[in-house]
This record gives sequence, C-alpha cells and structure tokens, in this order.
Amino acid sequence: MIFTFEENSRIVEAYIGEYASGKSEMAINRALELSNQGRRVTLVDLDTVEPFYTLRPIKNQLEKLNLNVISSSREDSFGLGETGAMLIPRARWALRNEGDIILDIGYGVFGAQTLNLVEDIDQTPELKVIAVLNASRPMTNSLDRILEYVEGLGRVDAIVANTHMGDETTPEIISAGNEIIVEAARILQLPIIYVAIVEELKDSNVNNFGLPVKYIKRHMPAAMW
Amino acid sequence: MERVIGESKKSFMTGNEAAAWACLAAGADIMFGYPITPQNEIMHYWTRMAPKYGKGFLQTEDELSAGFTVCGGVQSGKKAFTATAGPGNVLMQEPFGMAEAMRLPLLAIIQQRGGPSSGTVVYSQQEVSLTTYGGNGEGHRIVYSTSTHQEIFDYIIKGFNTAWKFRFPVFILGDGYQAKMREPLEMYDPESRGIKMEEAYPLIGLGGKIGQDRGPSHLCNIYSLEEELYEVITKVQAEYDALAPQITEYDEKFCEDADIILVTHGVVSRAADDAVKALRAQGIKAGYFRPITLRPFPQQELRAAIAKSGAKKLLIAESAIGQLERLVKQEIYGETVKIETLFMPGVGIIESDLIDKVKSVL
Repeated sequence: MIFTFEENSRIVEAYIGEYASGKSEMAINRALELSNQGRRVTLVDLDTVEPFYTLRPIKNQLEKLNLNVISSSREDSFGLGETGAMLIPRARWALRNEGDIILDIGYGVFGAQTLNLVEDIDQTPELKVIAVLNASRPMTNSLDRILEYVEGLGRVDAIVANTHMGDETTPEIISAGNEIIVEAARILQLPIIYVAIVEELKDSNVNNFGLPVKYIKRHMPAAMW
Repeated sequence: MERVIGESKKSFMTGNEAAAWACLAAGADIMFGYPITPQNEIMHYWTRMAPKYGKGFLQTEDELSAGFTVCGGVQSGKKAFTATAGPGNVLMQEPFGMAEAMRLPLLAIIQQRGGPSSGTVVYSQQEVSLTTYGGNGEGHRIVYSTSTHQEIFDYIIKGFNTAWKFRFPVFILGDGYQAKMREPLEMYDPESRGIKMEEAYPLIGLGGKIGQDRGPSHLCNIYSLEEELYEVITKVQAEYDALAPQITEYDEKFCEDADIILVTHGVVSRAADDAVKALRAQGIKAGYFRPITLRPFPQQELRAAIAKSGAKKLLIAESAIGQLERLVKQEIYGETVKIETLFMPGVGIIESDLIDKVKSVL
C-alpha cells in the first residue's frame, strides 16, 4: 500500500486517460483512500462531453462514503437535455473547496487540456496529472501506441499501470499488459506511481515489476449504463 | 484489404469504440456524420484512426446532409456509413428512404436515446418503430439489434456485407447503454475468420455504352405514374420477401417446454437471458426468444417456438411502450398465446424486473 503517509498539505490530483482506462475507478479509490485517513476530500467529475454517462449514477452512493462529490445530478440536469453538457459551476470552482481535490477528467483525447477550464489551476503547484493506462485498450495496446498516446496528452506527471479486462481480468492479462507500460514509462521517463490490481486478485501471482501495488475496489459497475 | 487489427486479441472498450474499429476492420472507406449523443465517440474514434489508414470523414451541416452524403458515397462505389441517434435518426429517415428507393447499400449505426423530440440524451429503446419502418415507404431495410460489444463488432462487419450483397440499407441498432458501457470483446480482421468482405462497386458513372456494352444503371426515387410505382414497389417487396429467410437471425433458449416465453431485443435480452436461467433454477419453465433482426423479423421461428413449447404466455419486455410489442403482434397475428408486457421507457430492465413480472403473471 502506498500513499499511506501524506504530509498535511493539500493533495490535488487529476486523473486522465482513455475511456475504460480506469481513470474514474482510480480517482474514486484514491478519494476514498484519503477520506479514510480522515482527510476532507472533494471528488470532481470533469467530463464535459457526456456528463450523463459518468459518475452521476453512483453520486449518492459515494456521498454516503463521506466524499464531497461534484458531478451532474438529476436535479442539475433536469430539463437541460443535450445542453446539459456544460461545465457545472461547482466543477469550475472546485479548487476553492477546502481539503484534497481529486479530479476525474472525462474523455481521454484532450488529456490535461480540460483542466484549463478549472479556475486557479495555474496557481496550484501541488497539482499532479496522472495518466491511467490500460494495455487492453486498442489505442494503448503496444509500446508505439502508448508512446504516441501519452505524448499527445500534454502534461503528465506520473502513470498508473492499470491493465485490466473488466470482469474478465486475469493475472496474466495484468502482467503482460503492464510489461509494455513499464517499458513505455522508462522511455518517457515518467514514474509509475503504482500498479493497480482489483482486490479480488489480491492473492494471485501478478508481476508488479518491483513497483508499488494498490488494490482497487471496483465502484463503476454500479453505474448502470 | 489492409489488416487493421492484426493478431486477434481481446480488448476492453466502449461500444462506440467497438463500432468505429469494426467499420475500420470491415474496410469502410468514409464516414459522413453529425455529432449527437450517445454516438459521438464513433465519430471521435473514427476521426482519430481514419487518417492513419487513409480513410475519409466529413462532418456535414446536419443529419439530412449526413444521410444524403452517405447515399452519394455508396453510389460512387465507396463503403460509406454514418452513425446517429434520436432526432438525428428522424432527420435521416428521408435519406434512408432514398436508400430504400434506390437500393443503396449504406450502413447506419443507431445508438437509441429517449424521446420524443430533441433534447433527451439518456438511454431508451424508443427508436425501434423509427428504425424499422421510419421512412415513407415499406420498410425495405435490414435492422440488426445488437446486445453486446462483441455483437456490435460482428454485426457491423456482417452488415456491410449484407448491404453490398443484397443492396438494402442496413442498420445496426444499439442504444445509449451499449454505446457507453465498457466490456471486453475480441476484435479481428474478417479474413482471419474466413469472412470474405463483399467488394464495393460504383453504381453510377459506369463505362461503356448503355444498350450496347451494359444495361442502364437505373437508380430512381421519383415515379410519376401510379402504375409504375406499384410495379416497382411490388417487385422490391417480392425480392425482400425472397431474401428474408437468408437474412433473418434470432436466438432461442429453453423454448422446448416453456410455459412462458420472454421476448426481448437488444441490451434487454441480456437481462432476459439471466432471468430465464434464474427462473429455471427455481423450477419455473421460462423460455427465451430474441429477434436479432427486427427487419426482417423471425416470424416463422417465433411461431415455431410458441407451437413446440405450448407456452401459454409471451412476456414482451422493452425500454419503450410497445414498439417491439407492435412488431411481434403484427408478425404473429393469429396466434392465441396470451401476451403480457413490461414496458419501461427510458429505464434499463434488469433480471429482477423480469423475474418479478414473470412470477406475477404465472
């Protein structure tokens, strides 16, 4: 387990990545991890493309776990329809919240660019932009493709190796995929802050390449869509 | 044909991405489209990949234009396709009607959303009537209703072949959930599975002299004489009916001794599959019937399932108010089996909804 000992200063992390890379899961798990340490945490859903198909269905469930969740809710979006695809003001001003801020940046193509919509982002030196990579995704399933993809993202401070296949994840899939990610990170000279493994595979033989491991609880399957 | 996928391997992605990759693997040349939720990522991923493979894309000014440019694209001999939803599907019915009239082999991916009207972007199955019979004609089209990402991939590849082989417009009918869900699927190049892709060919601008080297290429959507229209439409209907048995697809489970048969399509059939197994485990004789093609509809097959099971009831369940039900009723007219319904427009139907409903009507 990493991230156990944190300094008292505020943590601001933005999770970016392709659809189905696992960025929302990583953001939720990280937010809950910090919250469980007694920290005040705000989880921000910054999907400007399709706010109706993101964290919205599990917002209430996450709030019950003591997270402050900024995401479109039924009430916010009532009657807006397609015009509901806008940046909600609470997300725009999210950095003015007290405590740690975990940003889940929807839609992978523009990477950290979307962060420009958040007020004060350029005055947040503690910001870390974390790219979540899943080598089971066709756009990031080879060394060349990962290099091309990450280089297109703009600012990236660190990588999470999160190779998985949803319900069909096996230790072999994780190990084989992450081997490519480890090599890509070496070439890109970016740190891999951890290898993510679903908690169901905790006792299995997954190669972690000597990197820190974080066991992940999956929350997104409850978002029914 | 270029191999896009290479060695077949499992991938984890959204249904929209699966659609874009399938079009690429099928050798599609160009997409014409206009953005609309929940199909946007089909365009996003196609436009990310298209330049790498020498493929084309045009974003038109609206869906009317997108539909007509697809009509033009296929006439010039390109494998052209589009993707849309909801009000975009409404606008495209006019060009889709032209495709029926002129027998144009276009392919359209429809990711259904709620309605009526323009702004509702959430999941629904309310585009069944529109997609099967939406034009001002006779529904001379082929509609595959998919239920998994694997099927989105498989039926897009098959759909291009169906379109170019039989010269009817083909629709891949998904929905907002299928578009956005993430799940694994196996992508492949068709040749690696022994699937031969039909060659696209120009329908206009052909060489040679008409009447001497070749017959006329008569692509017409205007008939000024009633008798001429009658003659043409009757002929097309006869061709459609003759081809239907080759095109029709369905899935059926546990119908041999079923007391009640669940009839569902698309993503709802995933819940029906689970529900039927759970009901069987509880000693309730439930059966499963899923039309994969909604046009042409597996009429004979559903009648046969009713007959062999001796089922007393059908349960038609859908995220709409009776759009599948109306199709079923018109197709099995004369059957005396009692029809029960579970209509949940806009709302996903899960296993427990179906189990509760079955128990309440048996």
